[in-house]
Amino acid sequence: MTFRDCIATSTGNLWRMKLRASLTVSGVVIAIAAFVSMLSFGAGMQKMVADQFEKFGLFSTTLVYPPRGEGEADSVAHAVLDDAAIVALSQIPGVKLAYPLDAFDVTAAIADTTIRTEAQALPTEALGTKLYSDIVAGSTLTTTGTDGALVTEDLLERLGIGDPDSVLGLSLVVSVEQTTIDSGLVYVFRGGIGRMRQLLAGLTLDSLNRPEYVRRKVGQVASDAMARFLNGFLSARAVVSDTLVVRGVLRGQSHGRARIRPIVAPTATALRFNAGGFVGNPTDLFAALQTGMFPSGGDGGTQRSYPRVTLDLETNTPYQPIRDSVEALGFRVFSYAEEFDEIREFFFYFNMVLGVIGLIALITASLGIVNTMVMSIVERTREIGVLKSLGADDRDIRRLFLVESGLIGAVGASAGIVFGWLITRLASVIARSVMESRGVPEMELFALPLWLIGTALVFGIVVSLIAGSYPAARAARVDPVRALRAE
Amino acid sequence: MQTVDLCRYYQRGTHEVRAVDRVTVGFERADFTAVVGASGSGKSTLLNLLAGLDTPTSGHIAVGGVRLSSLTRRELAAYRAKRVGMVFQSFNLVSHYTALENVALALYFNDTSPRERQIRASAILERLALADRMGHRPHDLSGGEQQRVAIARALVKKPDVIFADEPTGNLDQENAEQILGLLSELNRDGLTIIMVTHNIDVARRYPRRVVRMDYGAVVADTSGNSPDGGVA
Repeated sequence: MTFRDCIATSTGNLWRMKLRASLTVSGVVIAIAAFVSMLSFGAGMQKMVADQFEKFGLFSTTLVYPPRGEGEADSVAHAVLDDAAIVALSQIPGVKLAYPLDAFDVTAAIADTTIRTEAQALPTEALGTKLYSDIVAGSTLTTTGTDGALVTEDLLERLGIGDPDSVLGLSLVVSVEQTTIDSGLVYVFRGGIGRMRQLLAGLTLDSLNRPEYVRRKVGQVASDAMARFLNGFLSARAVVSDTLVVRGVLRGQSHGRARIRPIVAPTATALRFNAGGFVGNPTDLFAALQTGMFPSGGDGGTQRSYPRVTLDLETNTPYQPIRDSVEALGFRVFSYAEEFDEIREFFFYFNMVLGVIGLIALITASLGIVNTMVMSIVERTREIGVLKSLGADDRDIRRLFLVESGLIGAVGASAGIVFGWLITRLASVIARSVMESRGVPEMELFALPLWLIGTALVFGIVVSLIAGSYPAARAARVDPVRALRAE
Repeated sequence: MQTVDLCRYYQRGTHEVRAVDRVTVGFERADFTAVVGASGSGKSTLLNLLAGLDTPTSGHIAVGGVRLSSLTRRELAAYRAKRVGMVFQSFNLVSHYTALENVALALYFNDTSPRERQIRASAILERLALADRMGHRPHDLSGGEQQRVAIARALVKKPDVIFADEPTGNLDQENAEQILGLLSELNRDGLTIIMVTHNIDVARRYPRRVVRMDYGAVVADTSGNSPDGGVA
């Protein structure tokens, strides 16, 4: 008996017992639909993440950080993420562009509203990368040295501006508070001679030969000087203001570590604000004290160290050699490609869990197949005897019943995939309306990739075949002599 | 076809049933043999053993010099598919198939193409005067027609031998005569027929040889044309 004969015979048999077969198929349809819709959710989430990574070029984006300095070798611990390091990083094969994170606190005024926020300086080349290319209004900045700036949707939201197009061409007044080492030093020496007199008057000359006394007095003086320095550093801030023009609005997505600051300006423009020294955050000072990197002032900070450098890689550059090269320079690396591998691993287990739930439903449905096929054997015992008397061997009979259960699985799986897809469409419509009502950006939560269709089909058929294997073996064992006598 | 000390015993509880007990009998090519005996005499069991549907407890059957016991299950199935045709008292047609499909079914297991199956099945049904019944299902046919379809199914694979187990048992006199006439005609054309029947009259009139069984053993073996047929 050929396989074609088996298919034709089995199809005919299933067609004859339409009601029972359709009920059994329904079980498989529901199980496969559950399997497909659940895994479709997992696949949709994974696709959404992958699309975001792809859209913003994160697969080819790597972040470099200075070493932690704890428990590392001296040469490594002292690696500084400065301009020289950026040059070295940009020369690593596969690196298209290396640019630092240069963020600072600002006060921004636009359309009669003033808020405290953050800005970041970017080289023009970086503005051309995918990371900064999600422009919702206007255009990106193409030339250096202009007064143009990009703002994010988040900033507009804080400003209460709903229409991104309405801010294009508007003036954006950016003010930056600056403080310098100099201002601290001025405070240390404020009072000059009078303070010196006070100090000398407080000394007991007879006690100067006592080390304890000297130590205490020097300590008091040093402590007083440090307090004055910090007071001057923190209090004597100069405010630098400049007026920029809003050229474009970025979507302002937050890509984890690569968060886009609300105001983005080209490096040349931003230099006008932070050329004088430390800006805003006093921790910059302590960072500089730690690394020994003080700004020279006035030249744009050629000796500045940065908290982070972003590497834009050539497409399909393997990240391991990049990681090795960066670590050899003494820096720490964060690769989005590596992170995506971890995300993919997470989704693998996530899908496994969903798949197992679907599989349980399928196993339950398979019991229906076993029941149907066993019933079929009982009803067709005499027919099996006839077939054997006509020359069918055990293998023919086994195959006939296996094909029948396989057909139940194939039909059930096919219909289940369609049904599952319809469920995801319905769920998607509901989810979209909920998102819309809550102001969440629209996203597609479900995906039905080819691998899922294939897996569902194979699962449906394989589980059905496994379910049919017992009845098929039982049918094959039917004694033809007894079967021919059966009523 | 030769059986030697053929035995088929069943265990029924603690009791052993000797359905076929040390039967040694030969069947010549192109002969028409009737195996007669009372119910439970072992004649149907002997037929099933000869057809390769059942396995002897001991002894053996040789067909053309080949022992059936030496064949694998698949070879035994091939033997049934190609060399043996079977006709049953209760016809054993597949109820949901048409007459044509029932006949064609016999060719599913001997490598006949679907087209060839249709041609051969149609031809044999026409030969047995069932051309106008090809599309009918068994329940739409009379008993005689059903048995003729069953004979067509046995004949369509051009077997060496036809085993008929009480082929007229469910038929009225007229249909029984028709079927026996048909079997005689086939035998005259050179086909070997071994028929089991409990009807002495049938055994006397058509077959050329009668083998009588009793309690699983062959108790008489003679020509059906002898005065008492050896079966009186």
